[in-house]
Amino acid sequence: MSLKNILENWSQYRRGHEQGGHHEYEHMWGMAIDLNKCIGCNACSVACYAENNLAIVGKHRYSKSQAMHWMRIERYWDEPELEKAGLVTKGKTIETGASFLPMLCQQCNAATCEPVCPVAATYHTPDGLNAQVYNRCIGSRYCSNNCPYRLRYFNFWSYYEDSWPEPLHMQLNPDLSVRDKGVMEKCTFCVQRIRVAKDEAKMADRKVIDGEFQTSCQQSCPTDAIVFGDMLDPQSRVTKLWKTHQVELGKSKQSKQNPDKRGYRVLEGLNTDPCIMYLERVREV
Amino acid sequence: MARVLWAPFLAALVAVFVLLSSPVTYAEVPNAVPPKGEHNGKDVPQPIEFPHDIHAKINEINCMYCHTYARRSKVAGIPPTSKCMGCHSVIATDKPRIQKLTEYWEKRESPPWKKVHDVPDYVHFTHEKHLKRFVFDNEGMEVERVSEVCAFCHGEVKNMTVANKVKPLNMGFCVRCHEANDGPSDCWKCHK
Repeated sequence: MSLKNILENWSQYRRGHEQGGHHEYEHMWGMAIDLNKCIGCNACSVACYAENNLAIVGKHRYSKSQAMHWMRIERYWDEPELEKAGLVTKGKTIETGASFLPMLCQQCNAATCEPVCPVAATYHTPDGLNAQVYNRCIGSRYCSNNCPYRLRYFNFWSYYEDSWPEPLHMQLNPDLSVRDKGVMEKCTFCVQRIRVAKDEAKMADRKVIDGEFQTSCQQSCPTDAIVFGDMLDPQSRVTKLWKTHQVELGKSKQSKQNPDKRGYRVLEGLNTDPCIMYLERVREV
Repeated sequence: MARVLWAPFLAALVAVFVLLSSPVTYAEVPNAVPPKGEHNGKDVPQPIEFPHDIHAKINEINCMYCHTYARRSKVAGIPPTSKCMGCHSVIATDKPRIQKLTEYWEKRESPPWKKVHDVPDYVHFTHEKHLKRFVFDNEGMEVERVSEVCAFCHGEVKNMTVANKVKPLNMGFCVRCHEANDGPSDCWKCHK
Protein backbone atom coordinates (compact mmCIF):
# COMPACT_ATOMS: atom_id res chain seq x y z
CA MET A 1 0.00 0.00 0.00
CA SER A 2 1.89 2.99 -1.24
CA LEU A 3 1.14 6.50 -0.08
CA LYS A 4 -0.95 7.10 -3.21
CA ASN A 5 -2.91 3.97 -2.50
CA ILE A 6 -3.46 4.98 1.12
CA LEU A 7 -4.77 8.39 0.14
CA GLU A 8 -6.98 7.21 -2.70
CA ASN A 9 -8.30 3.91 -1.47
CA TRP A 10 -8.39 4.39 2.25
CA SER A 11 -12.14 4.22 2.59
CA GLN A 12 -12.15 1.05 0.54
CA TYR A 13 -9.86 -0.72 2.96
CA ARG A 14 -11.81 0.54 5.94
CA ARG A 15 -15.24 -0.64 4.83
CA GLY A 16 -16.91 -3.70 6.28
CA HIS A 17 -18.40 -6.35 4.06
CA GLU A 18 -21.90 -5.01 4.58
CA GLN A 19 -20.88 -1.72 3.00
CA GLY A 20 -19.42 -3.50 0.02
CA GLY A 21 -15.98 -3.85 1.48
CA HIS A 22 -12.87 -4.34 -0.52
CA HIS A 23 -14.34 -5.81 -3.64
CA GLU A 24 -11.59 -6.05 -6.20
CA TYR A 25 -10.44 -9.43 -5.01
CA GLU A 26 -8.06 -11.44 -7.18
CA HIS A 27 -8.33 -14.43 -4.87
CA MET A 28 -10.14 -15.19 -1.68
CA TRP A 29 -8.09 -17.72 0.20
CA GLY A 30 -10.21 -19.75 2.53
CA MET A 31 -10.05 -22.86 4.64
CA ALA A 32 -12.22 -25.62 5.96
CA ILE A 33 -11.20 -27.62 9.03
CA ASP A 34 -12.99 -30.84 9.82
CA LEU A 35 -13.02 -31.32 13.59
CA ASN A 36 -14.27 -34.87 13.15
CA LYS A 37 -10.92 -35.67 11.57
CA CYS A 38 -8.79 -33.60 13.92
CA ILE A 39 -7.00 -35.81 16.43
CA GLY A 40 -5.26 -32.97 18.22
CA CYS A 41 -1.77 -34.24 17.37
CA ASN A 42 -0.29 -30.75 17.02
CA ALA A 43 1.53 -31.66 13.79
CA CYS A 44 0.08 -28.53 12.17
CA SER A 45 1.44 -26.39 14.96
CA VAL A 46 4.91 -27.92 14.67
CA ALA A 47 4.86 -27.51 10.90
CA CYS A 48 3.91 -23.89 11.34
CA TYR A 49 6.86 -23.34 13.68
CA ALA A 50 9.18 -24.80 11.07
CA GLU A 51 7.72 -22.99 8.09
CA ASN A 52 7.21 -19.55 9.53
CA ASN A 53 10.33 -19.02 11.67
CA LEU A 54 8.26 -18.97 14.84
CA ALA A 55 10.35 -18.29 17.90
CA ILE A 56 10.61 -20.84 20.67
CA VAL A 57 10.07 -18.77 23.78
CA GLY A 58 10.77 -21.30 26.52
CA LYS A 59 8.70 -22.61 29.42
CA HIS A 60 8.80 -19.46 31.51
CA ARG A 61 7.47 -17.15 28.82
CA TYR A 62 5.06 -19.78 27.60
CA SER A 63 3.44 -19.82 31.03
CA LYS A 64 3.03 -16.06 30.73
CA SER A 65 1.07 -16.62 27.48
CA GLN A 66 3.83 -15.18 25.36
CA ALA A 67 4.13 -18.20 23.08
CA MET A 68 4.30 -17.43 19.38
CA HIS A 69 2.21 -20.34 18.09
CA TRP A 70 0.40 -18.96 15.06
CA MET A 71 -1.43 -22.26 14.88
CA ARG A 72 -2.57 -23.56 18.23
CA ILE A 73 -4.77 -26.45 19.24
CA GLU A 74 -7.34 -25.48 21.82
CA ARG A 75 -8.61 -28.27 24.04
CA TYR A 76 -12.12 -28.41 25.41
CA TRP A 77 -12.90 -30.97 28.08
CA ASP A 78 -16.44 -29.95 28.82
CA GLU A 79 -19.18 -31.21 26.57
CA PRO A 80 -22.42 -29.38 27.32
CA GLU A 81 -24.45 -31.77 25.20
CA LEU A 82 -23.11 -34.84 26.95
CA GLU A 83 -23.78 -33.20 30.29
CA LYS A 84 -27.35 -32.57 29.30
CA ALA A 85 -27.75 -36.19 28.36
CA GLY A 86 -26.49 -37.12 31.84
CA LEU A 87 -23.45 -38.97 30.46
CA VAL A 88 -20.86 -36.82 32.18
CA THR A 89 -20.86 -35.02 35.47
CA LYS A 90 -19.87 -31.42 35.29
CA GLY A 91 -16.26 -30.70 36.14
CA LYS A 92 -15.07 -34.25 35.60
CA THR A 93 -12.82 -35.27 32.76
CA ILE A 94 -14.66 -37.42 30.31
CA GLU A 95 -13.21 -40.67 29.14
CA THR A 96 -13.81 -39.93 25.51
CA GLY A 97 -11.09 -37.29 25.67
CA ALA A 98 -10.96 -33.66 24.76
CA SER A 99 -12.42 -31.87 21.79
CA PHE A 100 -9.87 -30.05 19.72
CA LEU A 101 -10.14 -26.76 17.94
CA PRO A 102 -7.16 -25.73 15.79
CA MET A 103 -7.08 -21.96 15.94
CA LEU A 104 -5.18 -19.88 13.42
CA CYS A 105 -5.80 -16.37 12.13
CA GLN A 106 -9.30 -16.45 10.69
CA GLN A 107 -8.35 -13.98 7.95
CA CYS A 108 -11.58 -12.07 8.57
CA ASN A 109 -12.94 -10.08 5.67
CA ALA A 110 -14.28 -7.53 8.14
CA ALA A 111 -11.31 -7.83 10.43
CA THR A 112 -11.55 -6.02 13.71
CA CYS A 113 -7.76 -5.69 13.91
CA GLU A 114 -7.46 -3.69 10.69
CA PRO A 115 -9.30 -0.41 11.36
CA VAL A 116 -7.58 0.14 14.71
CA CYS A 117 -3.98 0.03 13.49
CA PRO A 118 -2.62 3.56 13.80
CA VAL A 119 -0.04 3.06 11.05
CA ALA A 120 -1.88 0.78 8.59
CA ALA A 121 0.54 -2.05 9.25
CA THR A 122 -2.34 -4.46 9.01
CA TYR A 123 -4.69 -4.22 6.06
CA HIS A 124 -6.63 -6.37 3.64
CA THR A 125 -4.87 -7.54 0.51
CA PRO A 126 -6.57 -8.09 -2.86
CA ASP A 127 -6.05 -11.78 -2.07
CA GLY A 128 -8.56 -11.59 0.75
CA LEU A 129 -5.79 -11.97 3.30
CA ASN A 130 -5.35 -10.02 6.46
CA ALA A 131 -1.80 -8.82 6.03
CA GLN A 132 0.70 -7.79 8.65
CA VAL A 133 3.60 -5.67 7.44
CA TYR A 134 6.40 -6.04 9.97
CA ASN A 135 8.38 -3.06 8.73
CA ARG A 136 5.43 -0.83 9.26
CA CYS A 137 4.36 -2.12 12.66
CA ILE A 138 5.19 0.11 15.61
CA GLY A 139 3.97 -2.35 18.23
CA SER A 140 0.97 -0.50 19.63
CA ARG A 141 -0.70 -3.93 20.19
CA TYR A 142 -4.08 -2.35 19.52
CA CYS A 143 -4.85 -5.00 16.88
CA SER A 144 -4.19 -7.84 19.29
CA ASN A 145 -6.47 -6.31 21.88
CA ASN A 146 -9.17 -5.93 19.28
CA CYS A 147 -8.97 -9.49 17.95
CA PRO A 148 -11.87 -11.51 19.37
CA TYR A 149 -9.97 -14.76 18.69
CA ARG A 150 -6.69 -13.70 20.36
CA LEU A 151 -4.70 -14.90 17.39
CA ARG A 152 -2.14 -12.16 17.15
CA TYR A 153 1.19 -12.59 18.83
CA PHE A 154 3.51 -9.88 19.99
CA ASN A 155 7.29 -10.05 20.09
CA PHE A 156 7.95 -8.88 23.62
CA TRP A 157 11.60 -9.84 23.33
CA SER A 158 14.25 -10.31 20.66
CA TYR A 159 13.51 -14.00 20.52
CA TYR A 160 15.86 -14.61 17.60
CA GLU A 161 18.81 -14.10 19.94
CA ASP A 162 18.37 -17.42 21.70
CA SER A 163 15.62 -19.18 19.79
CA TRP A 164 17.86 -20.76 17.18
CA PRO A 165 21.32 -21.39 18.68
CA GLU A 166 23.87 -22.50 16.11
CA PRO A 167 23.50 -24.56 13.99
CA LEU A 168 19.71 -24.33 14.30
CA HIS A 169 19.69 -20.95 12.60
CA MET A 170 20.27 -22.88 9.38
CA GLN A 171 16.68 -24.12 9.58
CA LEU A 172 15.22 -20.63 9.20
CA ASN A 173 13.02 -20.14 6.18
CA PRO A 174 14.52 -17.45 3.94
CA ASP A 175 11.14 -16.73 2.34
CA LEU A 176 9.97 -14.65 5.26
CA SER A 177 11.69 -12.40 7.72
CA VAL A 178 12.70 -13.22 11.26
CA ARG A 179 10.75 -10.79 13.39
CA ASP A 180 12.42 -8.62 15.96
CA LYS A 181 11.21 -7.22 19.26
CA GLY A 182 8.26 -4.85 19.11
CA VAL A 183 6.27 -6.15 16.16
CA MET A 184 3.01 -8.03 15.99
CA GLU A 185 2.78 -11.21 13.99
CA LYS A 186 0.18 -13.78 13.07
CA CYS A 187 -0.76 -16.53 10.65
CA THR A 188 -0.37 -15.44 7.03
CA PHE A 189 -1.95 -18.49 5.36
CA CYS A 190 1.65 -19.23 4.33
CA VAL A 191 1.76 -16.19 2.08
CA GLN A 192 5.27 -17.11 0.95
CA ARG A 193 3.88 -20.25 -0.65
CA ILE A 194 0.98 -18.33 -2.18
CA ARG A 195 3.51 -15.89 -3.61
CA VAL A 196 5.55 -18.64 -5.24
CA ALA A 197 2.43 -20.28 -6.70
CA LYS A 198 1.18 -16.97 -8.03
CA ASP A 199 4.58 -16.10 -9.52
CA GLU A 200 4.77 -19.46 -11.23
CA ALA A 201 1.24 -19.12 -12.58
CA LYS A 202 2.01 -15.67 -13.87
CA MET A 203 5.19 -16.80 -15.60
CA ALA A 204 3.23 -19.55 -17.33
CA ASP A 205 0.31 -17.20 -18.16
CA ARG A 206 -2.27 -19.26 -16.35
CA LYS A 207 -4.35 -19.13 -13.22
CA VAL A 208 -3.32 -20.70 -9.93
CA ILE A 209 -4.55 -24.29 -9.96
CA ASP A 210 -6.47 -25.56 -6.93
CA GLY A 211 -4.23 -27.80 -4.86
CA GLU A 212 -1.08 -26.57 -6.58
CA PHE A 213 0.31 -25.60 -3.21
CA GLN A 214 -0.62 -26.28 0.37
CA THR A 215 -0.26 -24.35 3.56
CA SER A 216 2.23 -25.99 5.89
CA CYS A 217 -0.46 -26.97 8.42
CA GLN A 218 -2.50 -28.59 5.68
CA GLN A 219 0.54 -30.39 4.31
CA SER A 220 1.43 -31.88 7.67
CA CYS A 221 -2.05 -32.88 8.79
CA PRO A 222 -2.03 -36.69 9.06
CA THR A 223 -5.80 -36.99 8.81
CA ASP A 224 -6.25 -34.44 6.04
CA ALA A 225 -8.57 -32.38 8.22
CA ILE A 226 -7.53 -29.08 6.67
CA VAL A 227 -8.62 -28.02 3.20
CA PHE A 228 -7.27 -24.82 1.73
CA GLY A 229 -7.99 -23.05 -1.51
CA ASP A 230 -9.33 -20.12 -3.45
CA MET A 231 -12.99 -19.42 -2.74
CA LEU A 232 -13.38 -17.36 -5.93
CA ASP A 233 -12.68 -20.52 -7.90
CA PRO A 234 -16.05 -22.34 -8.10
CA GLN A 235 -14.30 -25.65 -8.75
CA SER A 236 -11.95 -25.60 -5.79
CA ARG A 237 -12.28 -28.18 -3.04
CA VAL A 238 -12.79 -25.55 -0.37
CA THR A 239 -15.58 -23.78 -2.27
CA LYS A 240 -17.39 -27.04 -2.74
CA LEU A 241 -17.06 -27.87 0.96
CA TRP A 242 -18.44 -24.49 1.99
CA LYS A 243 -21.31 -24.96 -0.41
CA THR A 244 -22.05 -28.49 0.80
CA HIS A 245 -22.20 -27.32 4.37
CA GLN A 246 -24.27 -24.27 3.47
CA VAL A 247 -21.88 -21.74 4.92
CA GLU A 248 -21.48 -18.48 3.06
CA LEU A 249 -19.11 -15.56 3.25
CA GLY A 250 -20.46 -12.12 4.04
CA LYS A 251 -23.04 -13.16 6.61
CA SER A 252 -23.18 -12.77 10.36
CA LYS A 253 -25.76 -15.54 10.66
CA GLN A 254 -25.99 -18.52 8.34
CA SER A 255 -29.33 -19.48 6.88
CA LYS A 256 -28.83 -23.20 6.96
CA GLN A 257 -31.59 -25.26 5.42
CA ASN A 258 -30.31 -28.55 6.69
CA PRO A 259 -29.51 -28.52 10.45
CA ASP A 260 -27.48 -31.72 10.01
CA LYS A 261 -24.83 -29.84 8.09
CA ARG A 262 -21.87 -29.38 10.38
CA GLY A 263 -20.31 -26.18 9.05
CA TYR A 264 -19.92 -23.12 11.24
CA ARG A 265 -17.60 -20.20 11.65
CA VAL A 266 -16.17 -19.24 15.01
CA LEU A 267 -17.77 -16.10 16.52
CA GLU A 268 -19.31 -15.09 13.22
CA GLY A 269 -22.05 -13.32 15.15
CA LEU A 270 -19.48 -10.60 15.86
CA ASN A 271 -19.69 -9.74 12.15
CA THR A 272 -16.03 -10.43 11.48
CA ASP A 273 -16.74 -12.56 8.41
CA PRO A 274 -13.92 -15.09 8.92
CA CYS A 275 -12.56 -17.13 6.00
CA ILE A 276 -12.24 -20.36 7.97
CA MET A 277 -15.13 -22.76 8.26
CA TYR A 278 -15.07 -25.48 10.91
CA LEU A 279 -17.00 -28.71 10.62
CA GLU A 280 -18.47 -29.60 13.96
CA ARG A 281 -17.37 -32.75 15.76
CA VAL A 282 -20.02 -35.40 16.11
CA ARG A 283 -20.07 -37.47 19.32
CA GLU A 284 -21.98 -40.58 20.05
CA VAL A 285 -24.59 -39.64 22.61
CA MET B 1 5.97 45.60 2.17
CA ALA B 2 6.22 41.93 2.95
CA ARG B 3 5.08 41.05 -0.53
CA VAL B 4 7.83 43.14 -2.11
CA LEU B 5 10.47 41.39 -0.03
CA TRP B 6 9.20 37.95 -0.85
CA ALA B 7 8.69 38.46 -4.58
CA PRO B 8 12.32 38.01 -5.76
CA PHE B 9 12.79 35.08 -3.43
CA LEU B 10 9.67 33.38 -4.77
CA ALA B 11 10.74 34.03 -8.32
CA ALA B 12 14.13 32.46 -7.62
CA LEU B 13 12.43 29.49 -5.99
CA VAL B 14 10.17 28.99 -9.01
CA ALA B 15 13.17 29.26 -11.33
CA VAL B 16 15.08 26.65 -9.33
CA PHE B 17 12.04 24.38 -9.33
CA VAL B 18 11.59 24.70 -13.09
CA LEU B 19 15.28 23.97 -13.64
CA LEU B 20 15.20 20.92 -11.40
CA SER B 21 12.06 19.50 -12.93
CA SER B 22 13.25 19.83 -16.53
CA PRO B 23 12.39 16.67 -18.38
CA VAL B 24 14.84 13.81 -17.93
CA THR B 25 14.29 10.95 -20.29
CA TYR B 26 15.29 7.41 -19.51
CA ALA B 27 14.92 4.87 -22.24
CA GLU B 28 15.40 1.79 -20.12
CA VAL B 29 12.07 1.58 -18.36
CA PRO B 30 9.11 3.56 -19.65
CA ASN B 31 7.81 6.47 -17.56
CA ALA B 32 10.06 5.91 -14.57
CA VAL B 33 12.00 8.77 -13.07
CA PRO B 34 14.86 7.65 -10.87
CA PRO B 35 15.46 9.41 -7.55
CA LYS B 36 17.97 12.23 -7.62
CA GLY B 37 21.38 12.29 -6.02
CA GLU B 38 24.29 9.96 -5.72
CA HIS B 39 23.76 6.48 -4.37
CA ASN B 40 27.13 4.96 -5.01
CA GLY B 41 27.87 1.97 -2.89
CA LYS B 42 31.27 1.09 -1.54
CA ASP B 43 33.72 -0.72 -3.78
CA VAL B 44 33.32 -4.43 -3.31
CA PRO B 45 36.68 -6.18 -3.59
CA GLN B 46 36.25 -9.30 -5.69
CA PRO B 47 38.63 -12.27 -5.82
CA ILE B 48 39.23 -11.55 -9.49
CA GLU B 49 38.77 -8.08 -10.87
CA PHE B 50 36.12 -9.03 -13.41
CA PRO B 51 35.96 -6.59 -16.34
CA HIS B 52 32.27 -6.15 -17.26
CA ASP B 53 33.25 -3.60 -19.88
CA ILE B 54 35.33 -6.05 -21.94
CA HIS B 55 32.54 -8.62 -21.90
CA ALA B 56 29.38 -6.57 -22.26
CA LYS B 57 30.60 -3.49 -24.09
CA ILE B 58 33.53 -4.46 -26.31
CA ASN B 59 32.49 -8.02 -27.03
CA GLU B 60 28.75 -7.31 -26.74
CA ILE B 61 27.93 -10.41 -24.77
CA ASN B 62 24.32 -10.40 -23.58
CA CYS B 63 23.93 -9.97 -19.80
CA MET B 64 21.71 -13.04 -19.73
CA TYR B 65 24.39 -15.22 -21.31
CA CYS B 66 26.22 -15.36 -17.99
CA HIS B 67 23.47 -14.23 -15.60
CA THR B 68 21.23 -16.82 -17.13
CA TYR B 69 19.01 -17.37 -14.09
CA ALA B 70 17.58 -13.86 -14.28
CA ARG B 71 14.88 -14.83 -16.74
CA ARG B 72 13.74 -17.93 -14.88
CA SER B 73 14.24 -17.38 -11.18
CA LYS B 74 14.21 -14.87 -8.38
CA VAL B 75 17.93 -14.20 -8.52
CA ALA B 76 20.09 -13.33 -11.52
CA GLY B 77 22.89 -15.40 -10.06
CA ILE B 78 26.60 -15.57 -10.66
CA PRO B 79 27.57 -18.00 -13.41
CA PRO B 80 29.36 -21.20 -12.46
CA THR B 81 33.09 -21.28 -13.14
CA SER B 82 32.44 -23.83 -15.87
CA LYS B 83 30.70 -21.09 -17.85
CA CYS B 84 33.81 -18.88 -17.61
CA MET B 85 36.02 -21.79 -18.60
CA GLY B 86 33.80 -22.55 -21.58
CA CYS B 87 35.44 -19.59 -23.29
CA HIS B 88 38.54 -19.02 -21.23
CA SER B 89 40.08 -22.44 -21.73
CA VAL B 90 41.05 -21.02 -25.11
CA ILE B 91 40.54 -17.24 -24.99
CA ALA B 92 43.06 -14.89 -23.36
CA THR B 93 44.79 -17.66 -21.44
CA ASP B 94 47.94 -15.55 -21.09
CA LYS B 95 46.26 -12.83 -18.98
CA PRO B 96 46.97 -12.90 -15.23
CA ARG B 97 43.26 -12.68 -14.31
CA ILE B 98 42.45 -15.67 -16.47
CA GLN B 99 45.37 -17.59 -15.02
CA LYS B 100 44.01 -16.91 -11.55
CA LEU B 101 40.61 -18.16 -12.71
CA THR B 102 42.20 -21.29 -14.17
CA GLU B 103 43.89 -21.89 -10.83
CA TYR B 104 40.51 -21.85 -9.11
CA TRP B 105 39.12 -24.13 -11.82
CA GLU B 106 41.90 -26.66 -11.44
CA LYS B 107 41.57 -26.63 -7.66
CA ARG B 108 37.86 -27.32 -8.27
CA GLU B 109 36.92 -24.27 -6.24
CA SER B 110 34.70 -21.40 -7.21
CA PRO B 111 36.06 -17.90 -6.76
CA PRO B 112 34.42 -16.41 -3.65
CA TRP B 113 32.50 -13.71 -5.51
CA LYS B 114 30.85 -11.14 -3.27
CA LYS B 115 27.33 -9.84 -3.63
CA VAL B 116 27.09 -6.24 -4.78
CA HIS B 117 23.39 -5.63 -5.22
CA ASP B 118 21.50 -6.84 -2.21
CA VAL B 119 18.00 -6.05 -1.02
CA PRO B 120 17.12 -6.53 2.67
CA ASP B 121 15.90 -9.92 3.85
CA TYR B 122 12.35 -8.68 4.27
CA VAL B 123 11.99 -7.89 0.58
CA HIS B 124 10.61 -10.28 -1.99
CA PHE B 125 12.03 -9.47 -5.40
CA THR B 126 11.99 -11.66 -8.49
CA HIS B 127 14.11 -11.01 -11.55
CA GLU B 128 11.99 -13.24 -13.77
CA LYS B 129 8.80 -11.24 -13.41
CA HIS B 130 10.56 -7.95 -14.03
CA LEU B 131 12.26 -9.32 -17.14
CA LYS B 132 8.95 -10.70 -18.35
CA ARG B 133 7.33 -7.31 -17.97
CA PHE B 134 10.11 -5.16 -19.40
CA VAL B 135 11.80 -7.48 -21.92
CA PHE B 136 9.81 -10.46 -23.06
CA ASP B 137 6.32 -8.95 -22.82
CA ASN B 138 7.51 -5.47 -23.73
CA GLU B 139 6.68 -4.73 -27.33
CA GLY B 140 9.56 -3.27 -29.29
CA MET B 141 12.14 -4.37 -26.75
CA GLU B 142 14.61 -6.78 -28.28
CA VAL B 143 16.34 -9.27 -26.06
CA GLU B 144 19.65 -7.98 -27.43
CA ARG B 145 18.98 -4.69 -25.65
CA VAL B 146 18.34 -6.29 -22.28
CA SER B 147 21.27 -4.42 -20.72
CA GLU B 148 19.18 -1.24 -20.92
CA VAL B 149 16.59 -2.86 -18.68
CA CYS B 150 19.23 -4.21 -16.30
CA ALA B 151 20.78 -0.74 -16.17
CA PHE B 152 17.71 0.74 -14.56
CA CYS B 153 18.48 -0.91 -11.26
CA HIS B 154 22.11 -1.90 -11.73
CA GLY B 155 23.47 1.19 -13.49
CA GLU B 156 25.61 1.09 -16.63
CA VAL B 157 27.49 -2.05 -15.68
CA LYS B 158 28.72 -2.10 -19.28
CA ASN B 159 31.07 0.73 -18.44
CA MET B 160 32.35 -0.72 -15.17
CA THR B 161 35.02 -3.25 -14.52
CA VAL B 162 33.93 -4.72 -11.21
CA ALA B 163 30.24 -4.03 -10.70
CA ASN B 164 29.41 -1.29 -8.24
CA LYS B 165 26.11 -0.31 -6.72
CA VAL B 166 25.02 3.01 -8.19
CA LYS B 167 21.26 2.99 -7.63
CA PRO B 168 19.67 3.32 -4.19
CA LEU B 169 17.54 0.13 -4.43
CA ASN B 170 15.43 1.35 -1.53
CA MET B 171 11.67 1.38 -1.18
CA GLY B 172 11.29 4.83 -2.71
CA PHE B 173 13.25 3.67 -5.74
CA CYS B 174 11.00 0.64 -6.21
CA VAL B 175 7.73 2.43 -5.53
CA ARG B 176 8.48 5.26 -7.93
CA CYS B 177 8.86 2.79 -10.78
CA HIS B 178 5.87 0.74 -9.66
CA GLU B 179 3.68 3.84 -9.64
CA ALA B 180 4.89 4.98 -13.05
CA ASN B 181 4.41 1.57 -14.64
CA ASP B 182 1.24 0.44 -12.88
CA GLY B 183 3.09 -2.15 -10.86
CA PRO B 184 1.38 -3.66 -7.84
CA SER B 185 1.02 -1.28 -4.90
CA ASP B 186 0.10 -3.92 -2.35
CA CYS B 187 2.55 -4.05 0.60
CA TRP B 188 2.64 -7.83 0.67
CA LYS B 189 3.73 -8.01 -2.97
CA CYS B 190 7.23 -7.06 -1.84
CA HIS B 191 7.33 -7.13 1.95
CA LYS B 192 7.55 -10.54 3.47
